[in-house]
Amino acid sequence: MGKIPRSYLLRRLGIFFLTIWFAATIIFIIPRLAPGDPISAMVGDMTQAGGDVENSQAIIEGWRARFGLDKSLPEQYVRYLGNLLTLDFGYSINAFPTPVGEVIARALPWTLSLLLLAMVLTFAIGNFLGAILMWRYTPRLVKMFIPVTMVFTSIPSVLAALFLLYNFAYVLGWFPDANAYNVGEVVPGFNLAFIGSVIRHGTLPALAIILVSFGYWTLGMRGMMITVEGEDYMQLARAKGLAPFYVLYRYMIRNAILPQVTAFAITLGTLVSGQVLVEYVFQYPGMGKVIYEAILAQDFPVIQGASFFLITMTALAVLLVDLLYPYIDPRISAGGES
Amino acid sequence: MKVKAIFSVLVVALLAVVSTVALAQDVPREETLIFDFDRTVTDPENYNPFTPAGNTNRGNGAHQAMWEPLFILNYETGEIDPWLGTAMESNEGLDVWTLSIREGVAWSDGEAFNAEDVVFTIEMLLGDETATLSNAADMQQWVESVEAVDDLTVQFNLTGPNPRFQVDFFAVRVVNSILIMPEHIWAGEDPLTYTFFDAEAGLPIGTGPYTLTSSDSTRFMWDRNDDWWGVAAGFEDLPAPSRLIWESVATEDSRVQLISNDEIDVANSVSLVAFEIIQANNPNVIAWENDLPYSWADPCPRQLDINTTIAPWDNANMREALSLIVDREEIVEFAYEGTTQPSSTMFVQYGSMSPFIDAVVEAGYGETPTADVEAAQALIEAEGWTLNGDFYEKDGETLTLNVLVNNASTEYTNTVDVLVEQFVDAGIDAAARPVDNSTFWGAAAPTGDYEVAYGWLSCSSVNEPWASMNRYTTNFLAPVGEPAPGINNTGRWDSEAAEAYTAVVEEIGTLPLGDPAIVDLVVEAYSYIDAETPIIPLVQATKLLPYSTTFWTNWPTAENNFNHPAFWWNSAHQIIHNVEPAS
Repeated sequence: MGKIPRSYLLRRLGIFFLTIWFAATIIFIIPRLAPGDPISAMVGDMTQAGGDVENSQAIIEGWRARFGLDKSLPEQYVRYLGNLLTLDFGYSINAFPTPVGEVIARALPWTLSLLLLAMVLTFAIGNFLGAILMWRYTPRLVKMFIPVTMVFTSIPSVLAALFLLYNFAYVLGWFPDANAYNVGEVVPGFNLAFIGSVIRHGTLPALAIILVSFGYWTLGMRGMMITVEGEDYMQLARAKGLAPFYVLYRYMIRNAILPQVTAFAITLGTLVSGQVLVEYVFQYPGMGKVIYEAILAQDFPVIQGASFFLITMTALAVLLVDLLYPYIDPRISAGGES
Repeated sequence: MKVKAIFSVLVVALLAVVSTVALAQDVPREETLIFDFDRTVTDPENYNPFTPAGNTNRGNGAHQAMWEPLFILNYETGEIDPWLGTAMESNEGLDVWTLSIREGVAWSDGEAFNAEDVVFTIEMLLGDETATLSNAADMQQWVESVEAVDDLTVQFNLTGPNPRFQVDFFAVRVVNSILIMPEHIWAGEDPLTYTFFDAEAGLPIGTGPYTLTSSDSTRFMWDRNDDWWGVAAGFEDLPAPSRLIWESVATEDSRVQLISNDEIDVANSVSLVAFEIIQANNPNVIAWENDLPYSWADPCPRQLDINTTIAPWDNANMREALSLIVDREEIVEFAYEGTTQPSSTMFVQYGSMSPFIDAVVEAGYGETPTADVEAAQALIEAEGWTLNGDFYEKDGETLTLNVLVNNASTEYTNTVDVLVEQFVDAGIDAAARPVDNSTFWGAAAPTGDYEVAYGWLSCSSVNEPWASMNRYTTNFLAPVGEPAPGINNTGRWDSEAAEAYTAVVEEIGTLPLGDPAIVDLVVEAYSYIDAETPIIPLVQATKLLPYSTTFWTNWPTAENNFNHPAFWWNSAHQIIHNVEPAS
């Protein structure tokens, strides 16, 4: 097992911070390239909602000053970077005076729990199916059936969401059609009614994600199993007369799953941004919904805060995998040294 | 041993779980009135209606159930119904307004609602140096000072005469009115950041017959306060629903399903197809009208604004030609499937507006429902254009036209598709220019970055003509590229006729509401619009709102017209007080 050299660690950390700075700069610039600005959009919305707004120019100027949007771009940029250092993302423009941190904090637990559950289940189901697809003792009927279920992989998750919503929420009425729990009827906290409500509300969105994504893991696992199947140690294991299940688990899956674990760690980084439209369809109050709505409203601070959060998570996941890999697979050493 | 220990821990944990189960009080479905809402709620824990966060939340029950307006404008009669206020009268100079407050009004915590609350709220807006609180800029423009004459009387001393002071700010003219906040809670708080939310302390509070039970970005629940002041004061009985819920609905498909299954009682506007599906699924569902157009016209009629600075549309004859090409009946038929009506003027066609509309039409300045393409082509040819193949040409250049459209709704893009076809058929190489919502409202429309823009930029008048007409005066002129103040006169109409129009409209603006001189002045002002065509009125706006009568009846309809049906407005108190249980 390789030890991580300090120079490698420092270099890796350097790249980590450089990535974040670079990304932070991009998410500062991109929203500002769009025509219009958030304040005019907000006042425009007010105009739209209320017929007309007298004194809208005074309102626009007041708000621009409050958000520093009347300052020059370099000034805004320096202030923005300074705030990032203290993780202060400022206030949402669309929902002033709510701090961006509060908007994210309110949405994040829902997304984390829903998506983490969905991803872990997807990973487990996908890899299991991929493994038994290649296993010589799997009944032929099962082997024929698995590829058929993978037809869902080719449809977008938003369509799967609509399909599930229509059939299971509206026609059959088995699951609720929106929200994360029965708001107003159960009290959030560690109680059965609440937990049951959360599970009932999370089932369809989670299923929409699982249905469309397990196929990737299945195919990847199947490919790795083919490689493993051809290894000499497999012949030896069988020649020794080991039980088929033991061979499947100890010799095949444990070897085949290594690259899948790496891929899983990286997808964890993109976890939060993953299912914007699924959240929207199910009115699930998570990060996807926050991002979607912030983009529609050109809410710069929320877009910046949420994007910064996503980028940091991805960069962190990649860094962790890089640092952990030598421990997961002893054949690899950090920094290319052996 | 180990198994036993784990088992004991599990049992204890389970007991702990069960013991903390606390269910909110159950209310039967037939006592619950459920509304649909389609606005984005970023922060469900802000009830400061003067900030953007709280302003978003007010339409989810807060200003329909908890905060009551001082007055409510009745769209059909044009009269102002009293609510927390009993009267608001001006002096002859229209610059001093005196508000009388109803006796016996109380906040839901028991404190009396009085003149001090009104004075406190208005002074708070006057004191906002940033002018970013909702209506702060309005109050700073119009109110010199405000004082409590006695417990139930408030005097507003204005900066100048304003005949519309009451209707514009305190009578729910369109969507909102200035909401009065309780001084005993708000005093000492910073209104720019105060959230007015603390579930444990029982906040927010209002004077309305419902209080907040729970608040989430996708669902708002309000329960009836049986000690509401209105009963003891002899104002109104308690409303029938024990509970009100606002449920977030994301798509039209969901809306169709939910009201078909009676999971919501009233839904936001749907298309004709969706409405027909709903009625097939649920025969108890009705709308404003029993037959086509089914819908209620919202206050923002659709129209085209023309940028009068860009050739060849800087020529009034060319603009007139565009107007003649427009076939409004085709728009109604193809873009709206018959759910609306052609506009005859820039105004919304409510009962209270008909004296002005009738006078304009009688004077010959009204729009026709069908096109007169021959007359249009004669105008274009008189300007030196000749038809070469499909399109007009002049000096080797083809006559082109871009129609700016907000792509946020298929209503808008469908209408523009019909219009583009009409222009193309008449020989103009027209094309739609779709942009997203924030580009439309935040950049393109205000800065005049268009040749022709589809929208509702004259929207404002509902009971008097000045508010809409004022939007086209030369007072709002700004160079193309800079935002026009208030998104008014975005077409930069600037000519002798525009100056003359402005003078007449300014005169209308100084007359008291209902002054008989106004009708003639409107006709005079409209003659300039007719002569120079800065705008082309198209059709009335449409809101096809399905209500289910399975649990609740006595909804507002064209026949039962106690007021308009906009249930997301501050005026919806009237709807909630009027609905009756079906059984």
